[in-house]
Amino acid sequence: MKDRLLDEPFASGLVDGRVRVLVGVEQDVMSACRQARQLAETLRFSRTAAYHIATAASELAANLLIHAGGGLLQASALLNPTLDGETLGLELLAEDQGPGIADLALALTEGYSTGHGLGCGLPGVKRLMDEFGIESRPGVGTRIRAVKWL
Amino acid sequence: MTTLLQQLLREHRAELLADWLKSLHAPWEHPTPQDGTHHEPNQRLHALFEDILTALERPPSDRFELDALDPLAKHLRQLVADQARRGAGSSETIGLMLSLKRLISKRLIEQSPSDSSGDLLWLEQVFEQLTLLAFAAFLDIREHLITQQSLSLLELSTPVLRLWHRILLLPLVGVIDTGRARQITESLLEAIARHEARVTILDLTGVPVLDTSVAQHLMKTIDAARLLGTRVVMTGISPEGAQTLTKLGIRFADVISRATLRAGIAEALLMVGQRITSIEDGRP
Repeated sequence: MKDRLLDEPFASGLVDGRVRVLVGVEQDVMSACRQARQLAETLRFSRTAAYHIATAASELAANLLIHAGGGLLQASALLNPTLDGETLGLELLAEDQGPGIADLALALTEGYSTGHGLGCGLPGVKRLMDEFGIESRPGVGTRIRAVKWL
Repeated sequence: MTTLLQQLLREHRAELLADWLKSLHAPWEHPTPQDGTHHEPNQRLHALFEDILTALERPPSDRFELDALDPLAKHLRQLVADQARRGAGSSETIGLMLSLKRLISKRLIEQSPSDSSGDLLWLEQVFEQLTLLAFAAFLDIREHLITQQSLSLLELSTPVLRLWHRILLLPLVGVIDTGRARQITESLLEAIARHEARVTILDLTGVPVLDTSVAQHLMKTIDAARLLGTRVVMTGISPEGAQTLTKLGIRFADVISRATLRAGIAEALLMVGQRITSIEDGRP
């Protein structure tokens, strides 16, 4: 609050219908989850949908931390450009420069986990959200996009 | 050989001190009575002033090094500690030293604008080191305070309550991360063993989001509790939470769950063979 300068370049929090969280430690996962929920509520998603979005954000952020050692999670409002910027949905975007996923089909399989998780993170996110896309190049990184329509 | 700086410091010591104290802000002129320490802030400043001047009077060299046990380092750390505890920003202590530097360099330049460059360089070096030291000390103390606070928050936030004979209640409020999960498990297991609890009610009303990591922490806690011979009743999962958990594919197999704490308490009492009745019903 005093050192405004410090957080300007990585402005976190709600800015222009968009939330950016640099995930580096466990606390960031909580903060990503909280902020995604806040954004969903501001966009007038139902309680259940906001809960789904928050949980999906938390899963994606936790994945960034566990599998890639950190990354960037963004949540942004999807606006309709023709209709006075009416809100259409919310997009979650998780990007990392981690080791990448060698076998995408396997990673999306129920109950499969490389870490010590329950193995339902990614397939869970897919079910919680309406659209789900994943790109990954081994050695380069992973990018996951998930959308919930209003 | 005496340098200009050494000469200046010797001749104008008292004036420098007076000027410096005058340039500092109000808090130093009114020592806080609740402080409780024997040193008044002004005395601290006097000591620091003497120490800094002693350091400056050393013969100039290429590198100024300060031993961690040097009295100057010690006094500086004490001063920073005092200020950090009062909640002052790091700029306050550092500004204090920089104002002394400004005073000295101003006098130096006034006295001999042409020959003072070597002395100014030395002055710069000494104060650079002091600033670094003060900043490091400040961060250390702040970090220490933060660790202390988060530890006490952790303890505050996980009370295990004895609800009835052999029934424990663990109300969870707030986010559950790895550290808290460990704390919760520890204090719960300890309480189960102490009270020989048969039933533990785990109330999740205050947990904002149930995701796979929270679920996993809870499962581990529940498993451990069971090993000590207690049965677990989960309560307070919101309708949204329930829906999310099923979408995630998480199943709390054979854990008894009730929507509200009230229903959970009734269930727990039933398990130990008791129930709550109205006074009229209980009469023979």
